[in-house]
Amino acid sequence: MPNPFTPIMQGMKITLGHVFKKPVTLMYPDERPKVAERFRGLHALKVSHNKAKCVACYLCPTVCPAKCITVEAGEDANHDKFAAKYEIDMLRCIFCGYCVEACPVDALKMTGEFELANYRREDFVFTKERLLEKK
Amino acid sequence: MVTLTIDDKQVSVEKDATIYDAAKAAGVNIPILCHDKKLKPFGACRMCLVEVEQMKGRLIPACTTPVTEGMIVRSSTPPVEKARKLVLELLMLNHPLDCPVCDKGGDCELQNLAYDHKVNSNRLADEKFHHEIDYNNPLIERDQNRCVLCGKCVRICDEIVARGALTFISRGIETTIGTEFDGPLSCEFCGSCISVCPVGALLARPFKFKSRFWAMTKKKSVCGYCGTGCNVTLGVKDNKVLTTVYDENQGFHNGQLCVRGRFGYQFISSDKRLKTPLIRKNDQLVEAGWDEALALVAERLKGAGSAAAALATPRMTNEELVLLKQLMTQQVGSQNIDHSAGYGHAAVSEGLGKSLGVAASSATILDIQKSDLILAIKTDVYETHPVVGFEINMAVKNKGIKLQIISDKRGKLSRLPGANLLLNKPGSDVALLNAVAKVLLDENLAVTPATPELAAALNDFTPEKVAELTGVAADAIRDLARAYAAAEKAIILFTSGLAYPGADAQLAHAAANLAILGGKLGKEGSGILALQEKNNSQGALDVGFVPGQGGLDAQQILAGCSAGSIKTLLIAGENPVVSYPAQAQVKKALDAVEFLVVADLFLTETAQMADVVLPVCSYAEKAGTFTATDRRVQKISAAIPAVGQSKPEFQVYGELISLLGGQPAATQAEAFAQIAAYAGISYAELGEGGAFAAVKLQPVQVVPKVVTVAVDAGKFALLTGAALYHCGTMSLYGEGTVSVCGEAYVEISRNDAAKMNISEGAEVKLTSSTGTVSVKARISPRMSEGVAFAPYHFAEASINTVWSGAAVTGVTISK
Ligand code: SF4
Ligand code: SF4
Ligand code: SF4
Ligand code: SF4
Ligand code: SF4
Ligand code: FES
Repeated sequence: MPNPFTPIMQGMKITLGHVFKKPVTLMYPDERPKVAERFRGLHALKVSHNKAKCVACYLCPTVCPAKCITVEAGEDANHDKFAAKYEIDMLRCIFCGYCVEACPVDALKMTGEFELANYRREDFVFTKERLLEKK
Repeated sequence: MVTLTIDDKQVSVEKDATIYDAAKAAGVNIPILCHDKKLKPFGACRMCLVEVEQMKGRLIPACTTPVTEGMIVRSSTPPVEKARKLVLELLMLNHPLDCPVCDKGGDCELQNLAYDHKVNSNRLADEKFHHEIDYNNPLIERDQNRCVLCGKCVRICDEIVARGALTFISRGIETTIGTEFDGPLSCEFCGSCISVCPVGALLARPFKFKSRFWAMTKKKSVCGYCGTGCNVTLGVKDNKVLTTVYDENQGFHNGQLCVRGRFGYQFISSDKRLKTPLIRKNDQLVEAGWDEALALVAERLKGAGSAAAALATPRMTNEELVLLKQLMTQQVGSQNIDHSAGYGHAAVSEGLGKSLGVAASSATILDIQKSDLILAIKTDVYETHPVVGFEINMAVKNKGIKLQIISDKRGKLSRLPGANLLLNKPGSDVALLNAVAKVLLDENLAVTPATPELAAALNDFTPEKVAELTGVAADAIRDLARAYAAAEKAIILFTSGLAYPGADAQLAHAAANLAILGGKLGKEGSGILALQEKNNSQGALDVGFVPGQGGLDAQQILAGCSAGSIKTLLIAGENPVVSYPAQAQVKKALDAVEFLVVADLFLTETAQMADVVLPVCSYAEKAGTFTATDRRVQKISAAIPAVGQSKPEFQVYGELISLLGGQPAATQAEAFAQIAAYAGISYAELGEGGAFAAVKLQPVQVVPKVVTVAVDAGKFALLTGAALYHCGTMSLYGEGTVSVCGEAYVEISRNDAAKMNISEGAEVKLTSSTGTVSVKARISPRMSEGVAFAPYHFAEASINTVWSGAAVTGVTISK
């Protein structure tokens, strides 16, 4: 029969070891995590020449597995295509990043923004204005 | 038959087939870009290259090379694949590749071919094209940067549409597709060129950026405009009809549509659609619920008997007409029902009804291309039924079928190669047809002997006498009669409808007499085809939506309203204020009638006068059948849910029948089964393309009454009719059609214009004995001196203020 104290000693050793290590618990929100560059958080529509880069090609709503992107294209004064409406319903988004991958003009990215909690359902629908990249 | 081998598969095809046709028959897919089954082989793109054992050393284009016995073809060997890849690289060398913003993306042949052949890089490099994009017309955007010069647009516009609006201009790398004098495109806007363009060089502007091709559900339907009965595919997204989608395999017309079918769809999802019932309270139309509105209508109809009447539009489905007829005749007890102003259907209901023994055409549209000779009475055939016009064009150009025309104005038909036009004075068509019949008798060309009555009656119509009356040379009349008799198969076409009071029962009798005497009835490629105005004009006759025993016709109903004998009038979809002749009288009648109910999609000029307005559904929101002018019965089903609170009329009249204690047919199939003319057709089994209802002929020679119309000296002979871009008044709610033809106009000849110093587009005043109207002048080479033509669709400056239903109206034109 093995010594009954051995497992207890081993357990205590691990516990005691941790007492002297740096704590892993993040004291959120006083402390903030370091978000990795590849993290897939809230989307942002990239801006160039003071305009959203998105040309409303409809590829991201097509590829989106959660069907949470709504795009409506418009025709501007130069007959060019632009996104008159661009919305993502974050309650449905699964943060897969396919939309970013599908975009042919690199108009979309995912940011490190992860604090998306809100009080009302409507507030989870991010309109074009809310999605535009903040400079 | 020729037998050959393609990719080790043996196949036998007709000897005039190409390698491409043979491959298709063998189930081998050869990529194509410039080839189209509807067009003649062209061989512009070289995508279809194949290897042929017997022609080693070079690659052979499959779409232009005829098959020969024992040919051994390989469709996809390494050299073939290499060549195709190079073709694609060359095509994309100067192409902008702006797929993300190109509306064709997802439905683009170039994209598909590049994908299939894995062309994801280009070994060559060159500058992209910098052509200016043409936004000069409201319907078609032309971006020559994306053009692959396949020539399909040029060819379809020439070979099928016969307009020739597009052509290749410049040479070499500079080659583009250009318009007349490189000006803005001004054409029929049938959109055929858009439909065949394999890339995004030609795009429909009303649909621009609205949706991706793949995001739409494609719903098959039947065009709700004219009686041709073209099949259409509606592109639906988010319960809205966004566009019409081209399907080259659809219908007898292979997906060809006219401007109304292709661009006139916006009325369906228009913001102007009525969303709720309206009831007049304190002289204001206010929104109300269905229950209240229907209860009110039921109360008025209850026991009204012959003090009630109904006018229906032949745009309703057969089943809806069955229910409305049941409501009026059985529950209300009134025989006063009619459609198309009463006279609009007389050519068929009365004319062919007596002459052929059945109120229907003996020939079908398919007979046109199987005939030897086409006799078109009035060139308007092309304007009222453009896709039938395409059929005539193809018959003449591809099959060498002779075209004879009797018309009071020139037109596109008379410009077709070999067309022989007998230009007669307005209102003299029946006399002219009688003269032709007379020649048949005199020269012993008649196959069936004339009855003594007819022979006697025709004695007054010798070519010489008629020549004076009609302005057509006696010899020309004789030649026409001889040509008609000599043709083994001959088909007579004429247009009938609201704007064509001249196409009456007498004209139909005279035309039928020709066919009877000439022995041209009851065989393929021969007979009479009346082209009726609306999508279900024939159906309305088959259902019998005409005055019953002792009932009043449309004109009498309106007179009854004025006189006070009709107290309740139900107008289902008609817009008499604009489309019936004599506007002042119509308005007076509608003002006078105690209770006016209008069921319509829009608050039309007529609906504005109503006491109750019922919002009903368009053809895209309901199920049922339409009968094309050649008795082709076709089924439609709902493509989108009802707009707002609108209801299909089937439901509306069903509920009214129930409210009045009757038993309506529960389903469309049940109502359809009640139509005697369609015995033998099962609603459930009606598939795509529908079925032809039988036409049993019992020809009778009827002596036509000839009324000569005299227009006072110094006055213009005003003819009414339809404009190519419109059909009835519904197309006025389709933005596409309105954007290219939105205003009332009158066409006059160049000489008259010069004499009166009127310039194109100038405002002119038409004055007749009944009124005055100001419209824009159009100077047109097709008009003869002293003759004016005005279409009848437009509510503003409505032509029915000066026109009171005569075939020819004397008017003065002043600046
Ligand atoms: S991340 Fe995925 S689920 Fe979210 S919007 Fe993009 S494609 Fe859709
Ligand atoms: S894929 Fe890119 S360009 Fe296309 S709609 Fe989405 S964000 Fe816009
Ligand atoms: S025409 Fe076709 S290949 Fe060219 S940009 Fe448009 S979708 Fe792309
Ligand atoms: S719209 Fe019709 S008529 Fe006009 S260019 Fe195209 S094919 Fe020709
Ligand atoms: S415009 Fe379109 S259909 Fe016409 S030649 Fe160019 S690619 Fe072909
Ligand atoms: S498809 Fe044969 S050459 Fe274009």
